[in-house]
Amino acid sequence: MQYKDQIVKIAVQVWTIVLLIIPTAYGQEMTGEEIIKKVNEIFNPASSYGRSKMTIVTTSGQKRTFEFESWSKDGGEKNLVRYHKPGRVKDQATLMLNHADDIWMFFPRTQRVRKLATHAKKQKMQGSDFSYEDMGSGDTFITDFTPVRLGDEKMNEKICYKLEMVRKEDSDLSYSRMIMWIIKENFVPVVIDYYDEKDPVRHIKRLVQSNIRLIGSIPTAMRSVMYNRGDNSQTELELLEIKYDLPLSDAMFTERSLKK
Amino acid sequence: MRDRLLRKLADLHVTHPWKMLTAVLILTLIMGNLSSRIEVTMRTSDLLPEKNSKVVEFNRIVDEFATATNLTVVVQGDEERIKEFADELEPLILALYDSSMNESNNEKIAKLEERLEEIRLSGRDGSVIPEIKSEINSLQSRINKRLFQRVDYKAETEFLKNHMLMLIDENDLKNTKDIFMNPNLSELLTNLNNSMEKEYVGQEESISTREKEDGAFSFLDGIQHLIITLQRAVKDKNTTDNEIYKTADKLLFGEPYMLSYDRQALVMIAIPNFTIMDRDLLGIAAVSVQDLIDKQIREYPDIKAGISGAIAREYDEEVYGREAIGSSTLFAMIAILLLLMVSFRMWVSPIFALLTLAVGIVWALGASWIAVGKLNMVTSMMSVIILGLGIDFAVHLISSFTERRAAGESIASAMRNTYLKSGKGIITGSATTACAFLTLMISEARGMRELGIVVGIGLISILAATMFFLPTMLVFRERFVDRRREKKADKSSNAQKDISFKFLGNFGELLSKRYLFTIFASIAVSSILVMSALKIKYDHNFMNLEPEGLTSVALMDTVLNKFDLNIEYGLILADNIEESRDFSEKCRELSSVARTDDISIYLPSKDEQNRRIPHIREVIYNMKNSSIRQKIRSSEIEIIKSEIDRLEMNIMEMQDMAYIGGQDKVDKKCMEIVGDPDDPKSANIIRDLREIFNSNTTSIQDGLTGFQKTFGPYYKSAVLKMGTTNPITLQELPLTILDRYGNRTRDRFMITVYPQGNLWEHKELLDRFVDDMEYITEKATGSPSLMTALMRIFARDGRNAIMLTLVIVFLLLWLDFRNPGYALMAMVPLACGVFWMMGAMQLLGMKLNMMSMMGLPLIIGIGIDDGVHVMHRWLSEGNGKIRIVFSSTGKAIFLTSLTTMFAFGSLGFSIFRGWASFGISLAIGVAACFLTSVLILPGILGLIERMKRQVSKEKLKSNNEEL
Repeated sequence: MQYKDQIVKIAVQVWTIVLLIIPTAYGQEMTGEEIIKKVNEIFNPASSYGRSKMTIVTTSGQKRTFEFESWSKDGGEKNLVRYHKPGRVKDQATLMLNHADDIWMFFPRTQRVRKLATHAKKQKMQGSDFSYEDMGSGDTFITDFTPVRLGDEKMNEKICYKLEMVRKEDSDLSYSRMIMWIIKENFVPVVIDYYDEKDPVRHIKRLVQSNIRLIGSIPTAMRSVMYNRGDNSQTELELLEIKYDLPLSDAMFTERSLKK
Repeated sequence: MRDRLLRKLADLHVTHPWKMLTAVLILTLIMGNLSSRIEVTMRTSDLLPEKNSKVVEFNRIVDEFATATNLTVVVQGDEERIKEFADELEPLILALYDSSMNESNNEKIAKLEERLEEIRLSGRDGSVIPEIKSEINSLQSRINKRLFQRVDYKAETEFLKNHMLMLIDENDLKNTKDIFMNPNLSELLTNLNNSMEKEYVGQEESISTREKEDGAFSFLDGIQHLIITLQRAVKDKNTTDNEIYKTADKLLFGEPYMLSYDRQALVMIAIPNFTIMDRDLLGIAAVSVQDLIDKQIREYPDIKAGISGAIAREYDEEVYGREAIGSSTLFAMIAILLLLMVSFRMWVSPIFALLTLAVGIVWALGASWIAVGKLNMVTSMMSVIILGLGIDFAVHLISSFTERRAAGESIASAMRNTYLKSGKGIITGSATTACAFLTLMISEARGMRELGIVVGIGLISILAATMFFLPTMLVFRERFVDRRREKKADKSSNAQKDISFKFLGNFGELLSKRYLFTIFASIAVSSILVMSALKIKYDHNFMNLEPEGLTSVALMDTVLNKFDLNIEYGLILADNIEESRDFSEKCRELSSVARTDDISIYLPSKDEQNRRIPHIREVIYNMKNSSIRQKIRSSEIEIIKSEIDRLEMNIMEMQDMAYIGGQDKVDKKCMEIVGDPDDPKSANIIRDLREIFNSNTTSIQDGLTGFQKTFGPYYKSAVLKMGTTNPITLQELPLTILDRYGNRTRDRFMITVYPQGNLWEHKELLDRFVDDMEYITEKATGSPSLMTALMRIFARDGRNAIMLTLVIVFLLLWLDFRNPGYALMAMVPLACGVFWMMGAMQLLGMKLNMMSMMGLPLIIGIGIDDGVHVMHRWLSEGNGKIRIVFSSTGKAIFLTSLTTMFAFGSLGFSIFRGWASFGISLAIGVAACFLTSVLILPGILGLIERMKRQVSKEKLKSNNEEL
């Protein structure tokens, strides 16, 4: 039985690699839609568990580093974040459902769970330069943007597809457009430039991903830095550990489970 | 022609020294009078082109808004004491007036009135009468002129008390209106908790921007005050009515005083009755307020207070600027005098040289007044610059004259030969340097252009003093010496010893003989220094150019740290209220903006006001129908206890959200109320209150009843008063608000835009803020925009000036040497010197800044001299005389470099860090050019001599062969 499982696992991995390699080989023929579909798959694995470190800059200019665990399910539709360090925030947790349309927070000091207002989605996530929207984007790359291929370019030493993502008219997302540099080899966006909601010329943020490792079959950027051009701040997010395709129960992603 | 003129001038000095001296004295008196009129300004905008749109807009704001200029009093100490101090100081500041001009103005008024009377009596044309009357009125307004129109240090409480609810944003009003619906304590606490859960705990973004964070801070401050007053009410039962009223006011309107976040500092902003253009009043106002503070502080020994703001800074910088330049000039003069005494081994001639310089500087200042009218932040250094450069002319003239006298020539002959042999060189040298400076006239930036004009004119003035004044003194001295000798019948020779620097000659000869080694070593050292120069960083922090140790500047940091208030902000002038509101809203949406301050805070749009009215009506309805209970029942105490517990939990959650969100001010404020989660022993005032509640119920009931009896009616009437639903109009706004945001004619409104973070420390942030402001409107101005424009213009002008200076210097040298190759050779030490200078600066840990960048085109004009002198001497001495060239000319350039370095180096002691870095970098540049002249040139000259020898050998050989 174990032997059979092993074979199935290997077969799945081989196929995944083949599926990744084939489009790379014929990359120049790929359309913007096909590329962004691949990116979306990497961004939204079926389920995942990660241990991360995030460094923010406080309003008085000091750096503050948090360590937390996170779980996600259903292609990022459900997300749970539980803080561990520093001691002051130990066990504080955030639950995001429906691609961050619904957000709950658990405060261990008072043992209470609070639901945050829905419009928090576009706001900065907990002092970082990432917004809830950036973190739990779901299929928005596909549903809310029209990709346009701008030719290939070298970015951060990698040969990349360059895509312009133009927001669709009916979308209410925070960015009017994005420019992505996607590594041809593995479909990881090495840089994403975000443009103002109202003015498509104003560049407001840049995400730089690096230290890409193959975790299982999924190429994963272990380090992400979001640069905010507005207030010159930046947030570093480092993945200390990451696992994909874990069997996570729905019960994990409930208000009740937040308190555990 | 030139020779004839020079000969004539030399003869005049010998034949009519007294006439020459008298002419010089008369000219000095006239120029001295003109120079006394020169003004000094340290404003950044005075460095920019007059027609630059940012400058035009900035000057418009300064002209139309007295609020754009202010004097800030920063008071530090215990909260209650600083408030008392401010309350006492305010009326004293308002009572200040200027009487310094009374006497002269009264005289002028009397004369004008006499003239009026004359016109009336004579029945002449009366068309000038209105003009005279208006002049009289203007003069009368200056008699006992009140210096300040108001002092802002408290919120507009009276206005807020009537319109507070109308000024709250609709969303916030929706979430917080419960607080205003019932004045009974238990309901108030319940409503506070409800509002808090809706507004803060339920919305992470409620504290996510600077303005919102400040709102949350103020809300928590009101709660903190309520808890403390409740503690006192139930424990000591000695709370006064006034204290309870204050608690209600803090909950409703926030802190009225302009206090820092830690409540240990307070700012008072005194708005003058004059603009920054009234230079004489700046000083009077600054000194008068400082005097008031000094007197009052005797009664408040526990308080620290000082003045800052535009008025104090302008005044301090002007006064200390003059002092700094004075002391730098004095230091440079003494150092140069000592150096010349040691090197010439006599004391009279160096004193003559300095006297010449002093006269030349007076002429230069007078001429500068004619040319530019006032000195700015850059041109105020001119006396030190021309001192360092101008001394060289006197040194050359004295050397030549004394050498000739020592050789036994008569006074007349020595003077004539000095003029003919050295005069030409001095004139050519000074023309090259003056031209280099005058090329800066092409600059668009006023700062750089005026520096070129002022120093160019200055050098010509020094040259004139050297040619017209110094020789006269030398003639007097020589006649005196001759007479004394005759009396003593001293026939001994006055021949001087050889005081040339032989070591420089020997070293130069050694380097020229080993020219290959010298050239390769020069290339190696230059390469290292070029690499180092390429690594030099640019310091964009304009604050690093500000004076060090000035109270007014140091207090700016206090304001920045304690109030988190950036005093370098953007300004926009809107043409109407709608535009002001629109700009302000757009600015607030930018992440580079922390907050804005404009009239829309007190005058929301009609639509906004209309949307708020239903909520206000709901508040008023509920408040009117609420009856204040005269006694707190025991059952109510349980509700109060549970609400206090709930309040503690809400604040703890708000604290946790603030900690994760990095909102330090809210986190710290929560800490003051519910303690530090990392320190279990820290005070938790809510828990303390709960403990008091657990001790004695009857006593608590009495205490709370007493509190409610006073608090309830006051709170109810305050809410009813502030719940006016009549729309606020411009006419209704109090004068203090109108004056703050509107111009005199109320047709233009000023918006102040505060940036997010310290702009000077982060160039990217500065650029972003300026671009964002520009994106909102092209009318945006203020220090960040001005500084950015200045940096861009200076960089462009500097580059152009460097190119033009190089071309002019090359052309002049070509003309002088009549050989482009020699001209290029003379420029080698300069080219290397500039890189050596920047490389050395980098190795010394220095950075380039706006001021040192301005030194780069100057060093071209200054540094070229050394190479030119060496080349001239080498050409005149001929092959094989390198030892003589460097022992004699080497000494001269060593001395002139040292004098220039002393002059520039003296600026290094200036408290004005911008000047200090300018002086030090130029001193390094002069040293670098001297070193490259005596280290690199010998190698090149050695190589050329060898090549010449080889060519002549080959010629000889070929001649021999031909023969």
